[in-house]
Amino acid sequence: MGARRSRLELVFDILLSIQNKGGTIKPTHLMYKSNLSHKLLNQYMDELLQKQLIIINEEFHKKRKSPSKVITLTEKGSVFLAEYRRMREFTDAFGL
Amino acid sequence: MYQLFFTPSWFNGYDLLFEGISLLVALLIASYSWKLYKVSHENRYGYFSFAFILIGLSLAVKMFTFEVLYSSPLRDGVVQVLGPAVGQGLQFADLFYRAAFFLQMVVMLGAWLLIYFISQKSRERLSKYYEVSQMALFVYLILLISIVGNFKYFVFYLTSIVLLGMTVLNYYKNYLNTDKNPNAWRVMVAFMFIMLSNMAFVFVFKWSAMYALGEILLLMGFLLLLHAYRRVTRG
Repeated sequence: MGARRSRLELVFDILLSIQNKGGTIKPTHLMYKSNLSHKLLNQYMDELLQKQLIIINEEFHKKRKSPSKVITLTEKGSVFLAEYRRMREFTDAFGL
Repeated sequence: MYQLFFTPSWFNGYDLLFEGISLLVALLIASYSWKLYKVSHENRYGYFSFAFILIGLSLAVKMFTFEVLYSSPLRDGVVQVLGPAVGQGLQFADLFYRAAFFLQMVVMLGAWLLIYFISQKSRERLSKYYEVSQMALFVYLILLISIVGNFKYFVFYLTSIVLLGMTVLNYYKNYLNTDKNPNAWRVMVAFMFIMLSNMAFVFVFKWSAMYALGEILLLMGFLLLLHAYRRVTRG
């Protein structure tokens, strides 16, 4: 089993999972992709919504009567991902 | 007469320029590491930033001291300001240069030591109690070496070589552990250049031209650090 992820790493994993799915993902898929429990994911989702790194939209399907929720990565979220990648590169390069 | 400075006259001023550039690079890296510390709240970024601030401070002290040495008006100004504090009996020039050199040594050795500790991976560090006692021992040794270095200047450079050599080894391990990351390689080579510059400084008493070589190697090391920093932050 890998080392415990820090708070920032968790946020990065969540946002990266959304980005890898083309910028939009269903909550259930996000839970599996980011390897988080439902409770923990909801906690982080509230924080990410507050910081405007993600937004929640509703999608309508022909076969379904009610709309389903989807999570979308915002521009701010994309910027965070880029900054975090630079941070990781700096950490690796300077041996921190 | 005890000689602290060995700059060949044809190199006067160039060393200040080189060190000014190195100072800017050190502060750039310090500021970015501090920014990461504010975001992540992880102490290692704070310590790393502090280490580069110490390097910058050491370079600034050296630049100021050499500027006083090179420039008569500045020298007269410093004597006017600090002379009364020193008193009539003491040789002001000797005291000023020794104090400045002592400050330069303590701060620079502190920075190398901090970088050495940070470049060690956490699993190789001892438990907290022993880590604190180990650091206390090293701080004591740095102060002792700085005092001795005031009388035998090459002691400072030899200690720097040892610390930097161990740091280069740590960075080589880091290069291998990061799947041969090219930026990790650049950082390792940069510290190798800085170590080589200190080797050159050891021999300035024999050939004053070694001072110029040392300054050039030091500048190359910092320029390589700048290059690695730019590659990292440009993404």
